Amino acid sequence: MEDKECNSGGFMRLVSEESCSSTVTDELCVNNYQTEIFNQLPSSLARRRTHHHHQDRGTTETSHPVEKHPGLAGEARDRALTQPIRSLPVCMQRKREARDLRHLQTRTVGRWESWKRNQSINRKRLGEQVGEAMSRLLPWSSTFHTIEGRFGVGVKAYFVFLRYLLYLNLLLCLVIGGTILTPTVVYDSDGDRGLLRFEGNDSVLDFFVGSGFLERSPVFYGFYARSSLDLLCLNTPLLFLLGTLTVLILSLVMVVRRTVVGYKHTWLLGNHYHIHMSYKVFCGWDFCIHDPEAAALKLSFIRNELKLYLEEERFQQREARRTLGQWAHLYSLRGLLHFLVLVLLGGAFCLIYYATMASQAERSGDYLILRVLLHYLPPVVITLVNFFLPHVFRHIAFLEDYSITTQVNATLVRSIFLKLASLGMYLFFLFKNSQQECWENQFGKEMYKLSVFDFLACFCNTFFIAYPRKWLVDRYPSSWLARLSGKQHFLIPFNVLDLVYSQTVTWVGLFYCPMLPFIETVKLTAIFYIKKLTVLQCCVPAQRMFRASSSSVLFHFMLLLGLIMAVITLGSNLHQFEPSSSCGPFVGSATVFNVTAACVDSLPGPAQSTLRYLSSEAFVLPLILAQIVVLTSFESRRRANGKAIERLKDMLVMSTSDKHFLLKQHTLSLRRRKKTFKAPTTVSGTREGSPTTMKDPSAGIGEGSHIAQLKDPSAQPTGDDSPS
Amino acid sequence: MGNKQTIFTAQQLDAYQDCTFFTRKEILRLFDRYRDLAPQLVPLDYTDQPDVRLPYELIGSMPELKDNPFRQRIAEVFSEDGEGNMTLDDFLDMFSVLSEMAPRDLKAYYAFKIYDFNNDDFLCKSDLEKTLNKLTRNELTEDEVRMVCEKVIDEADLDNDGRLSLEDFQHMIVRAPDFLSTFHIRI
Repeated sequence: MEDKECNSGGFMRLVSEESCSSTVTDELCVNNYQTEIFNQLPSSLARRRTHHHHQDRGTTETSHPVEKHPGLAGEARDRALTQPIRSLPVCMQRKREARDLRHLQTRTVGRWESWKRNQSINRKRLGEQVGEAMSRLLPWSSTFHTIEGRFGVGVKAYFVFLRYLLYLNLLLCLVIGGTILTPTVVYDSDGDRGLLRFEGNDSVLDFFVGSGFLERSPVFYGFYARSSLDLLCLNTPLLFLLGTLTVLILSLVMVVRRTVVGYKHTWLLGNHYHIHMSYKVFCGWDFCIHDPEAAALKLSFIRNELKLYLEEERFQQREARRTLGQWAHLYSLRGLLHFLVLVLLGGAFCLIYYATMASQAERSGDYLILRVLLHYLPPVVITLVNFFLPHVFRHIAFLEDYSITTQVNATLVRSIFLKLASLGMYLFFLFKNSQQECWENQFGKEMYKLSVFDFLACFCNTFFIAYPRKWLVDRYPSSWLARLSGKQHFLIPFNVLDLVYSQTVTWVGLFYCPMLPFIETVKLTAIFYIKKLTVLQCCVPAQRMFRASSSSVLFHFMLLLGLIMAVITLGSNLHQFEPSSSCGPFVGSATVFNVTAACVDSLPGPAQSTLRYLSSEAFVLPLILAQIVVLTSFESRRRANGKAIERLKDMLVMSTSDKHFLLKQHTLSLRRRKKTFKAPTTVSGTREGSPTTMKDPSAGIGEGSHIAQLKDPSAQPTGDDSPS
Repeated sequence: MGNKQTIFTAQQLDAYQDCTFFTRKEILRLFDRYRDLAPQLVPLDYTDQPDVRLPYELIGSMPELKDNPFRQRIAEVFSEDGEGNMTLDDFLDMFSVLSEMAPRDLKAYYAFKIYDFNNDDFLCKSDLEKTLNKLTRNELTEDEVRMVCEKVIDEADLDNDGRLSLEDFQHMIVRAPDFLSTFHIRI
């Protein structure tokens, strides 16, 4: 028996003579009493009471299996008699005996009861089916499932983000359609302005540049004018302004909400309070799976999660083993690489500046194609810079030797800074040189070009780079080119950056090109199918996983950054430049806000003064102060809670050890008293529960008799349970 | 209900309804599933409680169980002889515990038994290693398995004895968000 104990866990447990020489009967007797004591403990009673409250009638829980021997103490047996039989963790024969014990001779389950149970089961099943149907209605959920199984949660997070952006843009389309497009189209003052008018010099290239027929369509700002809807507080310009503001506020609310929710779940709680591994190991397998493909998918899913954890563990171990010299070397290397990143960013900005200058210089007399190309020079340069530099950043992050999650996040942060800053620079230079008539249309056209070109770049990337690369690696795997490029992985950070960039462009250009959300919706749908093709056909799963949950918080945060940049740009535009006098709905006013001023002036006195007060500093500054105070209080409460949790965990471990120690002592003393009596022999089968066995909480008990594991000798299953 | 069935006596059916989470219809349906596994072994008349035991191979080949990495342990835990050969009682008991109506603690108790490969009422390291190997079909290296097992024990062991007792296990699994939905077989 001693050998067996040592083998069962590699534990060295001290064995006392009592446990070696004790007979079967003695141990069982002790187990009975042990069970009784345990069931009488206040914690067990409380647990049973709360479970009773939480369950329906008929499925009350037992928190402890109950022995069925007649030697059972009265209280425990009473408890056994009041539980529903079907919840007892014993075999069927025992349950039948328990049923007889309760003298249930008559039919207990009447027709009414049976029908009621049927109905509740059917209702539950119906609820489940409805839930399943609803989740299947969500578009592309089966695609997500396949992708998650093959490529992991990270790639799925990208597609989920894409779908979220699609929903957002649909919502924006609705708002814009309702507030901007519909009033203009319906209340058309001069009836001969159709939506699309084709004239002489229109060509297909207009579609890419945004001139010609597109310029005269509702796509750009210039189309909209004061129409027949001309009340003081309900006119087309006011609706235009309100529509744009609503769109931005709505986007802000949605993005902030999602960022905060993700932040709460992943970053705040951290790794301390989550029991990741136990859940993954014990609840990982879904017992409902019954076809081999789903089983294989689930298997790879579990394996990926475990590999992620193992990757992080290995990195932490590696970090812990670094010496001081290695740390110094690493930090100097990191400093150098940071400097390199700054140099690269500066170089990129200079390049964009020169490209913008070159394209702004109007040159007539060139060929049409050349002019179009020159139009597109800034977007081309921006896209090229944004295509190559993030890869450089990725290699730099790899050299810096962070954990893989930190590498991905660092690359993301640098790349988003590059993208947003280059966009900002481009906008800045645009505005500096915008002295033309109808400069709003010009600006809208630039944003339109950026958006279209982004889509073209994605398209070309898939069909001219991804597919040929896959073909090359498949057909000629040993050629030097194939070996250089290697197998394709789906690089999540860069694809997410593209999405964030295109959404930022949409937000920035919203005011000057109101149809951008519509264009964006169409683009996103097309991008979804293109990327799905790329992933499923050309890419192989990455060997090293990163924790996608923290990165998805970053995705939303970057989206928020883009939105803030768009809002700042728009705000500064509206304040600095006056609306051009030849096109747009704000013709004739000094600033865009004249329309709102006119509306406010028409309101009654108290409303006016309230509005004026709300927008003055006397209100805003105290509001900000109050928010700061509230934030500080929440932060300090969070810190206090964290400390309390640590203390409680320690208390829990200590009190459990105390409890087991006291149980053991109690059993010891009882056993000494009972040593003279012989308890009846009972043999328990393999399925009777012997709930607790003795554990050694800590070393160093005065008497020096540590009791090893006391278990019922169920090592020999006899198969026949003889009730005693 | 009106449909005369001659497989069980009325008392037997009542007893089954009391002792499992199934309704009368479901019990008859489960009997049909049991019989379909081996029509020549299982008689159509259970009124005299024949002692019929289906070997584990037939149970393990059921579509609900054949892809489950723990099917052998499930059969062993629920069978009387501990080898996986199941009588009708064992069969009904198994699917009753694994049905959606069974309470969490009952499932936790049996889950503990299933993962306890050496039947010593503790989930020690070797049990965890076997669980992990079955879960990943032996694709992890020994080192990786050891790291994961250490983390699991670290997370769930409340009384610091290096292995998980039933109490530790229940304490941990009660807070798992999807234990009830994964530990459930639909039949």
